[in-house]
Amino acid sequence: MSAVECVVVGGGPAGLAAAATAARHGVRVALVDENAELGGQYYRQMPPSFSVPDSPRIGRETTEGRRLIDEVRALGVDLHLGSVAWGVFDQRTVAVATPEGSRRLEAEALVLAAGAYDRPVPFPGWTLPGVMTAGGAQNLMKAYRMLPGRRVLIAGSGPLLLVVAHYLLQGGAEVVALCEASALRRLWRYAPRLAPHLDFVQQGYRYRREIQEAGVPMFTGHVVRRAVGHAEVNGAVIGPCDADWRPAPGPERHFDVDTVVVGYGFVSSVELSRLAGCEHRYEPALGSWVPVRSRDLETTVPGVFAVGDGAGVAGSAVALAEGRLAGLAVAHRLGRLIGRELSRETARARGRLLHLAGFRGVMDALYRFGPGVRALADAETTLCRCEEVTVGEAVEAIGEGAGHVNEVKAWTRVGMGRCQGRMCGPALAHLVAEGRGSDVAAAGFFTPRPPAKPVPLAALAHDLTDEPLTEEGVAP
Amino acid sequence: MIQGDLRMVGVVRGSAVRISVDGESIPAHEGESVAAAMLAAGRRFTRWSARAGEPRGYFCGMGVCQDCLVVVDGRPNVRACMTPVREGLTVDTQRGLGEWPVAP
Repeated sequence: MSAVECVVVGGGPAGLAAAATAARHGVRVALVDENAELGGQYYRQMPPSFSVPDSPRIGRETTEGRRLIDEVRALGVDLHLGSVAWGVFDQRTVAVATPEGSRRLEAEALVLAAGAYDRPVPFPGWTLPGVMTAGGAQNLMKAYRMLPGRRVLIAGSGPLLLVVAHYLLQGGAEVVALCEASALRRLWRYAPRLAPHLDFVQQGYRYRREIQEAGVPMFTGHVVRRAVGHAEVNGAVIGPCDADWRPAPGPERHFDVDTVVVGYGFVSSVELSRLAGCEHRYEPALGSWVPVRSRDLETTVPGVFAVGDGAGVAGSAVALAEGRLAGLAVAHRLGRLIGRELSRETARARGRLLHLAGFRGVMDALYRFGPGVRALADAETTLCRCEEVTVGEAVEAIGEGAGHVNEVKAWTRVGMGRCQGRMCGPALAHLVAEGRGSDVAAAGFFTPRPPAKPVPLAALAHDLTDEPLTEEGVAP
Repeated sequence: MIQGDLRMVGVVRGSAVRISVDGESIPAHEGESVAAAMLAAGRRFTRWSARAGEPRGYFCGMGVCQDCLVVVDGRPNVRACMTPVREGLTVDTQRGLGEWPVAP
């Protein structure tokens, strides 16, 4: 078995595009993904034994993803599926765990395409069974063709909420309301910048019309204030908010529901890029820490590239283009692509990113994260879901002098649970910033340490590094 | 309160299997996750939290939030959303941090 030259972590659009591009130019690529099948979240596939004979109106991206997945397989990329990348050592050595053991993958180039996860926004009742993220609802519908519930309230912000509503309606659920935090006023101001992206605009318009025709009330400038229920959610209360998404005076509305789907955008998964030693900066427009990158999408660690939502949430079209650009840079780094062909292909990938930047700019402005939404939580609201630490306990620690998220963690256990600070980190940083009168970047981030995801000791006990992969890419 | 099967119509699914959830046999299809099979049967509740004994369930659906933890075939802390079903699999509601089976 010849040595791997490029490791790609993440099998979503960005990772697939990077792997395919590099492999097309003769690079020996290994791709690692925690899931049993490629596609990540956006290109989530149904299980192999499932099929939809009548090809219904949901899942255009499923077909698009299928094509790219098939191409990656056909190009002979070494696949490590069901495998958790839990650490990065010596700059480019990736530690990968399966239930059978762990192996080290070393290569000249490492492409991190770890994606993003739903931004957790604490509010009263958010831990009740039946309250789930937009991503969680999408996975049920896309992968398993299953409804998350029958009477659903959708709340949060962003165009994804329209997609969730579309899937729910197509699947036969009742959407009792769609609650968008942004006011979405003066859309006409953006018309010139949206003109080159009519396909995206038309898609959005089609979703909105579908929702209207289904009789779903849509509230803009509104947030879900609380979810109520005993053993599970049975009601949701919405109310108006201001331009910063802070709850504002005005009539509350109560809906009987069995499910609340909440989507407030996404946070980049930067655990691996941190473990690799890459420099990061806080990007206020995205409300997320992202790795610092060159024009070629290389991080501050030589040979380590970061692409897609994991390097800054920008959607699937950007992820595909970034994956391509990094794949070209990797091919160049390994001497497989030089001169005029390199310039031509790189120029095309960069041109695509430039074209998309205009649309992204409008979306980011329209749905800009409103920090006031942090005011939804009261002292009793759970902040750290894993360790069950309330907002009040964290605020008390901040009041007593904790000025960094790590200090609050040490004093209260926030961030010490199994999710390793993913669910509480973003909100905690805002609480610290607010409490100290400083900015979110100054609140810091939880010190990164391996493993990046919980792995059983048994997975670390057996070193599989020198054992060959089976045909399916998973060690015996 | 969820009634009935939440599976969408018009889909060819994997072969039918049965799993048990807190002793009750529920239908599933090969290829589904434990979380999906439980949710389809209207069971959104996976565990009682350790400190306050709060009910928790499926939240992020992608293996990140660690809230859908259940006891599978006697082993605790298993993410229901990342675990495929198979015939005869047993799932139990997890209480707190769970209990590990003691080696004989």
